[in-house]
Amino acid sequence: MSRIHLLILLSSALLGVGLVAPTLTIRPQAGEFSWLVEILAPEELVPSTYSIVGVIRELYLIGDVFLAGVLGLFSIVFPVFKLCLYWLGTDRSGSLISSGSLYEWTTRASKFSMAEVFVLALVILSVKALPGGSSATMEWGAYVFVGSALGAMLIPTLARKNEP
Amino acid sequence: MTHISDFDAPKKPWLRLMVPILIVLGFAVLFVIMDQNGKAPGREDQGPTGKSPMGAKLQEGQTYYLFASEIELYPTNLKNDAWDGGKNGPDIRYRILWQGNQVFESEEKEDSLIADWSGLSLDLEWTDLMGKSISPDEAIKAARIRYEKGGLVEVEVEDDDVADDDEAGRAEIQLKDLRLGRNEIPFEKTSVNAVRRINLRVLPHGSAIRDLVDLMK
Repeated sequence: MSRIHLLILLSSALLGVGLVAPTLTIRPQAGEFSWLVEILAPEELVPSTYSIVGVIRELYLIGDVFLAGVLGLFSIVFPVFKLCLYWLGTDRSGSLISSGSLYEWTTRASKFSMAEVFVLALVILSVKALPGGSSATMEWGAYVFVGSALGAMLIPTLARKNEP
Repeated sequence: MTHISDFDAPKKPWLRLMVPILIVLGFAVLFVIMDQNGKAPGREDQGPTGKSPMGAKLQEGQTYYLFASEIELYPTNLKNDAWDGGKNGPDIRYRILWQGNQVFESEEKEDSLIADWSGLSLDLEWTDLMGKSISPDEAIKAARIRYEKGGLVEVEVEDDDVADDDEAGRAEIQLKDLRLGRNEIPFEKTSVNAVRRINLRVLPHGSAIRDLVDLMK
């Protein structure tokens, strides 16, 4: 097994963990009335930790199917598809197989290498802008997910280096 | 770049395609199982963060909030007659006296043998939402007392009637017997007492709101 294949497997493993590990903790606040809400409805201010899959599920449950779909597409479907494509598109030595459409697809996919991280960053930024002093912090799962994306980004570069 | 040959061509491309998918799924499932079994890295238990001083003794010289969160009366009054002439339950109100002075009077709870008070009350107007600042002190409806050795408080409970208020009972409570949080004090029915029990809450004055919330639960 070549280094490229090992990198694909490592990225896949990181992606698997990154999707279900804690990624985002939201600590809701109600501005000046936070202390009051804390007394009358403390459950409203309990910090919630979500994984990427958890965020998608929450979005779906509250009826935001579009956003759930976009996030699901860019954080689950696309990265998995990309890794499958790289796995299929590299030969035993770790070089890209130049079989017409497969090569084209692999090249196209590599151009969107950080799309999933970009979408994740957008979600975190939008939550950080919540009113009332609410805050969102990244958890270690986000770094695992980014690690997977970085690994996937390296694959086509290394594969091209392997080309004779 | 290599050119695909019969040797290199994937024999079963769909089977090969499954490898990364299985790895992703496998690690995700493995993590979830580990997380559920051993509370592995991951989910924070997001309970109250404060160190609850529940059950702690009162400190000398400290100021405390004190209020009755629940008062239960016996079914009959001091004369063993029905409350309010038998039609309705008693309208319960209580007062707290400290050092011979009334330091708190509760709101009246109508027609109940078990009355409860949250210890919180806010009179807010819509305009207040535009920037009025409200402190916990303003919202907590309780007596403020200071613990000193040998100190005591009196709790007077009465049935508030239109014509004449009927006393339901009067309890002298030694402050040294109280603990932070909930204190349940039972009483016998006598000719001068018709109060079955009083739940007194003691909250430290000037604490973080999180601790007060924990003590009020």
